[in-house]
Amino acid sequence: MTAATAVGPGTFERVSSFLAYEAELTDRHRFDEWLSLWLPEGVYWVPSNEENYDPRTHLSIIYDNYERLQERCFRLSAEGVHSQDPRSRLCRTVGSVQVRATNPDGTVEVGATMVLVEVRFGVKNVYAARVEWVLLDAGDTFKIRSKKVILVDNDEPLGNVTFLL
Amino acid sequence: MKVAEGQQQSYTSLVREDRVHSSIFTDEAIFEAELERIFYNHWVFLAHESEIQQAGDYCVKTIGRKQIIVSRDKDGVIRAFFNRCRHRGSAVCSYPKGNASFFRCPYHGWTYSNKGELVGVPYQSRYGADFDRSELGLAKVPHLGEYRGFIFVSLAEQAPELSEYLGRAAPFLDLFLTASPTDRIELSAGASKSVFRGNWKFVGMDGYHVNFTHKTVLDLQTRAKGASRARGVNNSDKSPNESWDLGNGHCRLDQSHGDPVDFGEEEAPGQAETDVPGSEADQVYLASLEQRWGSRAAVNERLNRAHDVHLHVWPNLQLIGGEVRVIRPISAGVTEVTGYLAMLGDVPEEINARRIRAYEWFNGVAGFGSPDDREIFERNQVGLQADQEPWILLARGQEMAEASPHAELIGNITDEVTQRAQMRQWREVMR
Repeated sequence: MTAATAVGPGTFERVSSFLAYEAELTDRHRFDEWLSLWLPEGVYWVPSNEENYDPRTHLSIIYDNYERLQERCFRLSAEGVHSQDPRSRLCRTVGSVQVRATNPDGTVEVGATMVLVEVRFGVKNVYAARVEWVLLDAGDTFKIRSKKVILVDNDEPLGNVTFLL
Repeated sequence: MKVAEGQQQSYTSLVREDRVHSSIFTDEAIFEAELERIFYNHWVFLAHESEIQQAGDYCVKTIGRKQIIVSRDKDGVIRAFFNRCRHRGSAVCSYPKGNASFFRCPYHGWTYSNKGELVGVPYQSRYGADFDRSELGLAKVPHLGEYRGFIFVSLAEQAPELSEYLGRAAPFLDLFLTASPTDRIELSAGASKSVFRGNWKFVGMDGYHVNFTHKTVLDLQTRAKGASRARGVNNSDKSPNESWDLGNGHCRLDQSHGDPVDFGEEEAPGQAETDVPGSEADQVYLASLEQRWGSRAAVNERLNRAHDVHLHVWPNLQLIGGEVRVIRPISAGVTEVTGYLAMLGDVPEEINARRIRAYEWFNGVAGFGSPDDREIFERNQVGLQADQEPWILLARGQEMAEASPHAELIGNITDEVTQRAQMRQWREVMR
């Protein structure tokens, strides 16, 4: 992590607004638009069992580089994706947003909590997570360099979590 | 609750050679009988020795509803006991794994060594002179056996030898290990834990479903490599690949005859594509195997088989690709599956790092393959409730399977040789 500078005026509001937009895209399965938020070096990480570790020595629920993110969105859009046919109905709240740092390279480090309700085949599931983003401030919007979703139950047996977290 | 000997209901009429009655997947009374006769009365897989590598290491596993502590003492001896204080029955250990010399019951402080001996009882003077701590150690699991690092237990009073139970499955445990140049694996990369609303027996062995259940995996392969007229052929009735009945309920799919790219998990470099020289790590890995097996051709031939032995050790262990998969029945309609990745010993770090990424691609909880399997298992459970016609059909290839020196029966990859193998053993155990 590079040395952090003070959070500029309006950054919190702009970040919050961006997170609300991203939440809408994921809830509504708008895969292509969601994918367009990502930088090519992006990493989408959902750790398994623990909060933090070297992903080269410990498996993850998801550890997608941009290429695999494209595959994920392609698959979720494809016919025959049984685990999302029909799709989950999703509604999430992203709250307790913190802009933790703004860095000289133009990135912003953001933390938040997320509570997500999912309904499919008459069953309601609740997922909760701490989420961390590194966002590149592109002036009029942000681009996602990394998103890490730490599910509180990432060491418990999970059901169908094939939708975007 | 244990049903008295001689009063057991027989379920043999529910399993015929070519079909089984759907109540064996949906009936809770049958499920309870399965716990008693299969999970508490048959060899089952418990743990891998790499999970308790150091002196004092322990882990807690659950067989059916019974928690079992597996520990390694300072002399390296592995033991398994039930996680239940001999005083009033509290669980003495509440962590899934760790390192401990003692387990202390939180209720009244009774303390056990990691050999299971009762070594401390607070205010012992209030017991009489006949109070004998040596008789009150943690209850031992009746039978514990290890085969090449795989630890199995039987909770039965009497059990056949482990080698007798493993039978023709054992050579494929051996083969699985040979992906490492030193036959060493470690389940050190964490666990992939999942649960589905379906019966445990659906986690079977099926070579028929791939082109349909995993249609999107084929789509992803087409996307990466371009359209091919051979799409799906390895998982069809035209495939040279096979389904094997190994006896004792064990079975496997043999995919070494056709191009093995039909499973995403095998696509990672350092796995199947061994004849394509990759990175420096691949070169180091292949050279170490070549030293052992003599030639690059021998290495390729072996890895083609070792990278996916596709084995089911009945009832609760599977080796699929690099995965060590453990099945835990919760109820007739709920099952937990825990997947561990076999990290290879004595290979460059990059090889294992790629195995992890490949594992997540297909097998991961949110991967591109296994979630669709679990989805189908859930739909099975829904469908089977509508039991106007209660029999499900397992007759595929029944007349065509052939015996071989390596297996009881071998059929085409899409044949239901594997399901019949499991159901025959179920019938035997549930008689």
